[in-house]
Amino acid sequence: MATVNNYHQGNTQVATTGTKPAAPTAKTVDSKSVLKRLQSELMSLMMSGDPGISAFPEEDNIFCWKGTITGSKDTVFEGTEYRLSLAFSNDYPFKPPKVKFETGCFHPNVDNYGNICLDILQDKWSSAYDVRTILLSIQSLLGEPNISSPLNTQAAQLWSNQEEYRKWVEKLYKSPNA
Amino acid sequence: MDSDSINTTPSPSANNCKDFSRKKRRSAKLKQCKLDARREQWLSQSAVKNKGCCKEGTNGGDLKQRAQGQTDCLLENLEISRRGEANRGRETGLVKHESDSESLPSNSPMNSILLEGTGSGTSFTNSSSSSSSTSSGGCCSGSITEEEGDDGCLDDWEAVADALAADDDKREMERNNNNRENPFLGSTPEHEQNPQLGLKGEGSDLRNAKLECPRMVQRVTGSSRAWRADDAFRPQSLPNLSKQRSFPNTDRHFGQRGVPWMRSSPFTVPSSCPICYEDLDFTDSSFFPCLCGFRLCLFCHKRILEEDGRCPGCRKQYEQDPVEAEASIQEGSLTFRLARSSSMFARS
Repeated sequence: MATVNNYHQGNTQVATTGTKPAAPTAKTVDSKSVLKRLQSELMSLMMSGDPGISAFPEEDNIFCWKGTITGSKDTVFEGTEYRLSLAFSNDYPFKPPKVKFETGCFHPNVDNYGNICLDILQDKWSSAYDVRTILLSIQSLLGEPNISSPLNTQAAQLWSNQEEYRKWVEKLYKSPNA
Repeated sequence: MDSDSINTTPSPSANNCKDFSRKKRRSAKLKQCKLDARREQWLSQSAVKNKGCCKEGTNGGDLKQRAQGQTDCLLENLEISRRGEANRGRETGLVKHESDSESLPSNSPMNSILLEGTGSGTSFTNSSSSSSSTSSGGCCSGSITEEEGDDGCLDDWEAVADALAADDDKREMERNNNNRENPFLGSTPEHEQNPQLGLKGEGSDLRNAKLECPRMVQRVTGSSRAWRADDAFRPQSLPNLSKQRSFPNTDRHFGQRGVPWMRSSPFTVPSSCPICYEDLDFTDSSFFPCLCGFRLCLFCHKRILEEDGRCPGCRKQYEQDPVEAEASIQEGSLTFRLARSSSMFARS
């Protein structure tokens, strides 16, 4: 239950950071081009119809998206669906968006607040990535965690026991309905 | 041959004294720089009556007008500076073009395709040679050259172009530019843009050819003469092509070097910048910043250079020195610079 609260805190955090980039601090040229890029991404994302991932901007803020990914087949996350938030800055795509799990995710590389440890969201970011590739990367991260640098040590230790791990995933997925 | 030394020279010569102080300023004001670059693109776009007009029509028009006001002095300056450059370019490029197209038309399938392509692309212009190589100026000095309607030898061309369907503004304008610029633009390195421009919309075959080896296209299409023999503007120093036909085809490797990475590259030539999703204009579409083949617009490239300076496609550091990638990068940056300098004229 503690985790539930944590997630709520995480959510509010995300919400505040998400609105910040939209503030008129940056030059209009920049935000305009970001806008264009995000709109184009939204279009192509909707047209591509990739199974297992989706994303859409929040009501009135295209700098703040909600995405969902489903656990891939034949992984312990099969049958689960996770909501994520993506907060884009005016530097996007030159800087990665801030991506967080909003649904609790029992995963070695996801901490209790939903923060994700994924190289392409940090130093390995390339402006050639987009929302689609981010979501696909996270989706594949679910089934192939990086055990060597875990944010959730418990999950990392448990990963070797897939059967047990699956139970944890289900338990945590059902109980805290974030 | 002397290809290397010669090919590297244009960039220094292009932005010799005029750009000198400007360069300093540039480094000081990168932002301004970006704007300038964009402005140049507008300039050229409006000059060639690109579709960009509707997008940035007001801006482009504005600039164009300004440029027009300055035409006289501009023309002089440009002609002088360009001519020297063109000469040099011709010595290397043209000769090689000649040999390219003439000595091995059937050696490589590429070549033949390209030749066909250019042939059809330029069929309406009587000298197929001029159309592609000429419009080099289109990007850098389109607006400038446009005004020199008094050029007698070009009048015919204008008439022809005018008579052509108005729906193909872009091509038409390009042709116009070609004609006019032919005399003194010779083969500035930028001419690589022309083939793309000229071939645009010529049908899928051409397009494919273009995609596979833009460099080849330019080389080949750039062949023939940018200067007509009887051209009044033809510089005296221009070497006689017939003499040099026997030269070994040193330039060939340039053309072919471009091909492999273009072909093998997972990134085919995009119509819009993968970073900002804006349409690539002529300058952008002849810009090959990285050997991995990942292409983007000058705007985004600049932005990336300001930050980590790594190619989004392969994460490798961009080569800061344009000379290293020789033809491709050098030409890209040269285009850039020329365009800039012309804007400086317009402003002063």
